[in-house]
This record gives sequence, C-alpha cells and structure tokens, in this order.
Amino acid sequence: MKMTFNFGSFLSARTVMGDTMHELGEKHDHVWALTADTGGALKEFKKDFPDRYIDVGVAEQNLAGIAAGLALEGNIPFIAGMIPFMTMRACEQNRTAICYQDLPVRFIGTGGGLTSGGGSTHNAMEDIAIMKSLVNMTVLSIGDPNMVRDIMLLSMDYPHPLYIRLAQGKKDRMLYEPGAYTYKIGMGITARDGQDATIIAHGEMVFVALEAAKMLAAEGIEARVIDMYSIKPLDEALVLKAVKETRNIVVLEDHLMEGGLASVMADAFADGGVYPKNFRRLGIPQVYAGFGSGEEQRAKYGYDEAATVAAVKKMLA
Amino acid sequence: MADPKEVKRLQELAREMREKLLNLCGHYDGVVHIGGDLSMTDLLIGLYHHGMKVDPADIKAPDRDRFLLSKGHGAVCMYIAMSLRGYFNYDEILETYGQMDSAYGMHPCKIQLPGVECSTGSLGQGLAIAVGLAFSARQKRQSHRVFCMMGDGETCEGEVWEAANTAGSYKLGNLIGIVDRNKQLMTSFDGEQMYLEPYADKWRAFNWDVVELDGHDMGQIIDALDSLPPVTHDRPTVLVASTVKGKGVSFMEKNIGWHAGALSQEDMQKAIADVEAAFVRERSAS
Repeated sequence: MKMTFNFGSFLSARTVMGDTMHELGEKHDHVWALTADTGGALKEFKKDFPDRYIDVGVAEQNLAGIAAGLALEGNIPFIAGMIPFMTMRACEQNRTAICYQDLPVRFIGTGGGLTSGGGSTHNAMEDIAIMKSLVNMTVLSIGDPNMVRDIMLLSMDYPHPLYIRLAQGKKDRMLYEPGAYTYKIGMGITARDGQDATIIAHGEMVFVALEAAKMLAAEGIEARVIDMYSIKPLDEALVLKAVKETRNIVVLEDHLMEGGLASVMADAFADGGVYPKNFRRLGIPQVYAGFGSGEEQRAKYGYDEAATVAAVKKMLA
Repeated sequence: MADPKEVKRLQELAREMREKLLNLCGHYDGVVHIGGDLSMTDLLIGLYHHGMKVDPADIKAPDRDRFLLSKGHGAVCMYIAMSLRGYFNYDEILETYGQMDSAYGMHPCKIQLPGVECSTGSLGQGLAIAVGLAFSARQKRQSHRVFCMMGDGETCEGEVWEAANTAGSYKLGNLIGIVDRNKQLMTSFDGEQMYLEPYADKWRAFNWDVVELDGHDMGQIIDALDSLPPVTHDRPTVLVASTVKGKGVSFMEKNIGWHAGALSQEDMQKAIADVEAAFVRERSAS
C-alpha cells in the first residue's frame, strides 16, 4: 500500500492486516485465513480465496484445533480475532494442539490492553503473560500499523507458532517510515536515543513513550525509547545495553504489570546479572478496569504520558 | 456383505491384539487404559487392516488416509494395531512402553513417534484438528479420508460439538468420525451422572450422516467401512459403534474399576484365557 508517511498520523492496523492477508493469499496457496466471526478485515481474502477462508462462528477453541490440523498438512493458517477469546478461551488448544506440536499457526489479535472499550470481558490484560508461557510460542506486540505487514511477510519463513498483539486496530499511530527498519523476531528498535533514562514500551504505548520523551526533553532530560515489539524472544542485548548506558529503566505497557514485558525484563536482569539503578513498571494494576477509552484508562491507572514523565523525573531526582 | 474370509482374518488379528494388550498390561509397571483399549480394539483392527488406505513403508504418502486418536489415552491400543500392520515392533513397545525417553507413551506424540499423525491426549480436541486436516485435503483436491476416533465420554466436551457444527456446515464429506460408544465415562456409567442419549440424533442434528453398528461385530465394521460415501459427499459421516468397555475379559467388562489398571501375572493369564474362550465361542457361533 502506497501512502504518505506522517509521524503520529492514524492508520488502521486491521486494514493493513486484511490487505496483507490478501497479498499473501494471492502469492501462497497454503495461506489460510481463519476467524471466529470477526473477519471484517478479511472480506477481500474471502472473496478471492473462499476455499481457504474459514469462519466457524463464535467458537475459538474449535478454530485453534482446525488451525492445528491445517498446519499439520503444511499450511500456514492465520487466526484473526479478539485477544481475550483467542488467548484465554482457546488457551489449552493453543498450548496442546498448536505449541506442543510446534505448528506454524499465526495469531493476530486485536484489542490489546484496555483499548477495546468493551469493559473487562473484552479487555486483554493477561494475554502476554499467558502466551509467553507457552513453549514454542513467539510473542510480538506491534504499535506501528505498517509493521504488521512486514511481520506477516517475514512470518512466512518462520516455522513456529507466532502471536501478534495489536491495539484496537482501528486507529493506530504510524511511527516509522515504511522501509526504515528491517524487523526481526528477537529484536527491538531504539525509536529515540537518550542517555538519562530508557523507557521501554510495546504496542501502542511506544507512541505514548515517545510523547513522554518529548515532554522530558523540554525539561532537559534525554530519555531513550525502545520499541520492544519482540517480547519473546527478547532482545536482551538491547535491554542490557540500555541498563549499562542509562541506568534508569521505565517499562510502560498496556498489560497487567505482573507477567508482562516488565516481568520479562526482570528475568533478563537476573539472567544477565546486570541490574538497573532504578527500575519502575507502569501498566495495569490488579484491577478489572471499567469502561472508557484507552486514553482515559491509562490516565486513571497511571500509565500515560504524564505518569511516565513523573516516573522518569523521580528516578533522576 | 463382508467377505467371510476377511471377517475371519480380522477377528484373528483382534484376538491377537487383545492378547498383546493384556500381555503389555501385565508386564508394565503402571496402569494401562485397558478398558477403553479393549472396547475399540475391533474398530482399530477394522481401520488399520481393512478400511484405511495406509502404507507403513510410506508414512508421508500424500494420499494416505489420516487417523487421529482423539481418545489419546488409548495410545497403546493404536501402537499395537499399527505394529500388527507393520509400523512398529511389538517387542519394542512391550519393553519400552511408558519408560524414560520411549517413543511409546501413555498419550501419542507425533514428534517422538513418526507414523502417528497427531499428538493427542487432551480429550475433546481431536475432532477439530481432524476438521482442519479435512479442509486441507479438500482444498488440495486430495482423495484421502480423515478418520477421527473418539470416546463417547470425551464428547461431553463442547469443542467436539463446535467441530461437529463446522464439519456439517462446511459439508466435509471426507471426514469420518468414529465413536467408541462404550457407555462408560472414567468414573460413571452413561445415564448415571450424564445422559448422552439420544446419542446418534445429536450427530444428525449437526448435519452428519450416522451409521450405527455393533463395534465388536467385525462383519458390521467391514460393511460400515466399505460403505463410506465418496470424499465428495456433502455430509460428514460418523460411525456410532456400540461397544463394551473391557470387551473380552469377564472381570473387566462393564466394570467401572477397569477404566485403567494394572494386571497381576495371575490376572493377566486369566484375562488372556477369557479372550481365547470368547474367541472360540464367537467362532463356533458364526
């Protein structure tokens, strides 16, 4: 898709996903699109490749099983759906039917964190903790909508299960000019450099981190921002370098603070034997959040731009 | 009508299989899911030795029929049926079953044991996976069928009916379900806690063709397998096979204590003698 790149302008990640599915479907006759009644973005795929489009109705466990069966036969099934049901309703199928057999199923989930607007039934606060615990599963969280296409393309050569977490997927901020980076599983991006502290974020929180870094810069504080789109495997070298060079680390994520990227980072500190001077995690506390937009929820629960700025300043005080 | 010679051949294989199962159960230092193994023995012999197009010398043949054991706790039964067909060596199964690093475990693992189509063991998951295999075969215009063996107990799982709904909706005529309808769950009889009847009607309601048969009558098993519709048929088929848990062993049949168990040498000899006697009885009756 040709477009004009303007940092921070909106693009729908779901549209990018749907367009890329069609592109992959056209190129590869072993690519399938699967959905449990949430295939709105897959209309073109359905029209042109109806024999590789499966909508099972609202039945996520069954869908995961079918994906396993397709993958056993050498196909690459992409499951598109809402995160809580994809990762929790079908958790055991994801583990036993897919991960145990190490099958190349791709999960593309929308509604990461508190972005769904649907309340606690539809919020996705636990998905990273759950999915990263599955052996053989790779966990990515993508903010920049154009990155979705690049990751989907590279996934064609990836022989393992892969989970891609998106935010709401309707209005996503463009962060990187298409082609500016070559994305890779197990790598992160230094989206902004700085030496005073590092804010490590994933998904749509990368934009929040960049905004916070701008606000800090206005006060003379240079914060590095890392887009840790690959949560499992983690770019440990990038993390440990940030610890050594900036000593102060803030993790910002739209996920429960327990079990998300912050926990993965703590594991990396322990395993690498390198510890930050200050380490603070900002994210969802132990709460079933109410209704409201992602922005409103972030402000309420203390993981928005202002909270990030405050956390960094407190570390440096 | 099934060829009487073929019926006889398969009956003899089933007898041998029961003896090998009981022998393993008597030698293994642990429990074997012997009740449900004995209930599906005749069906597995019918499938691996008559109904399915498989070749142990070419386990990756694209057009081979696929078999999924959704009731994965019956793995040893499948290993032995396959060993009798030439896939594996029975003595190796006997010597290593359930041991550290053995390929022959309580639940089948396709990564450890090539020839097994799918790792199973978590009940209720097999049919959905089989639906995926059937979708793939149809899209690739392949000629093989996908067979999925389920226990009736595991069809209490909702996922089974989600998958049944999908297979009926998408008219997967290349998919064949088989239910080992032994009317026992692990800890209760059908009708005691859960009422599974009207069982066949449940499948019909999901737009499946249903064939009801006696799962221990080799003639009926052969007839059912020989009469399967072409893969282009517009409905999946399920064989609802009425069976007896522990079939062939007097002290195990319909005994709730024999979902799984270990056999002493003495009981093993008694069990094998039972199987022999039942075989002779059925032979003289037919």
